[in-house]
Amino acid sequence: MYFTEDENNLTKEYLHQGYVVRPAADLDALEWLQSKFIDLIGETLDVELNGTPKDILNHIHEKVPVSELNEFRLKIIRGFNSIEGVREKYFQIARPYLETLVSNELAMQLRINLSIQFPSDESSLLPVHADTWSGDSPFEVVVWLPLVDCYSTKAMYILPPQKSAELSQGFIERAGTSSEELYQSMKNDIQWLEVKYGEVIVFDQALPHGNRVNDESETRWSMNCRFKGVFTPYGDKKIGEFFEPITLRAASKTGMAYKHPITS
Amino acid sequence: MGERVPQHVQNLVIRDYCERNGLHFLLSAAEYAMQNSDLILEQIMCELKDIDGIVAYSLFQLPEDSVKRNNIYNQFIAMRKKIYFAVEGLSAGTKQECERIEILWRVRKTLPDCIKSCL
Repeated sequence: MYFTEDENNLTKEYLHQGYVVRPAADLDALEWLQSKFIDLIGETLDVELNGTPKDILNHIHEKVPVSELNEFRLKIIRGFNSIEGVREKYFQIARPYLETLVSNELAMQLRINLSIQFPSDESSLLPVHADTWSGDSPFEVVVWLPLVDCYSTKAMYILPPQKSAELSQGFIERAGTSSEELYQSMKNDIQWLEVKYGEVIVFDQALPHGNRVNDESETRWSMNCRFKGVFTPYGDKKIGEFFEPITLRAASKTGMAYKHPITS
Repeated sequence: MGERVPQHVQNLVIRDYCERNGLHFLLSAAEYAMQNSDLILEQIMCELKDIDGIVAYSLFQLPEDSVKRNNIYNQFIAMRKKIYFAVEGLSAGTKQECERIEILWRVRKTLPDCIKSCL
């Protein structure tokens, strides 16, 4: 493969670990996104917010009761996705990593997801899963972007490729009767992805991953969004209803529009 | 594009889309099931001047023929009306928006010639 040294290193790391953590490629875009969240929180709660963005986000659980978390989250995510230019900013933050790991002709999820996980909240858990188990294409990756520092149980976990392959071989025996049993069978092998605000994760969604109860004292805020090569196979998440091309190249445009001369 | 969702499910999706986007739902129309038929769509296009626009279940219900699709885009642009696609949450009423829809169509039509998953 004709990769640069940096591209080779990124590729090897991704294949070995199933994920990479890198600095946000566009810090202005990241700060813009974070500031939009602060604006939306202020509008949604109708309060004056004091403190740094990190403080406001980390301690939002002191202002919103768990019983109102879902409604709060929905308002924020709807408001966020309706802001012009949000998806492009999100893409720019991970662009060089995506172009190395996935393709330079990318399709991006139409709506960006948001996760808000309060300390000790058991209502926002994502049981262990691989997105491919519910029909996603194995050609997709997830760009996971924290708005605050994420560590220990405030972060997400992933099962590395080697261990994931072992799990696939003995899946029936290890899965038992519930996703919790499955988690218990792999908990010694999982890796918690420590990531700071200002960094971004790209991970293989075909590897088992999830989160647990956040036992830290701060709220986790993270976004996630799927990307894939435009012309790679699609799973249940289709072109148009879920994915949209964002970096279609000129030769693909002319190729798709091409017609042979009419000879009869 | 060879896929079928029951009509009552399509109606539910369309009504929900209208409700969430503040669109006044007038009445639904179902296309004839014959392959490549767009007679009902053409009929509604004739009535476009009397309504604000059309909400389709999916953008892939537009005609497969690119010339016919272009004609439809051009009518919406010329009449300053809008066509909405409920499943995709997209809409088109300007040249730029129509080009976005057309790119999705072209990629979708190209995919059968691309690599396939072995899953």
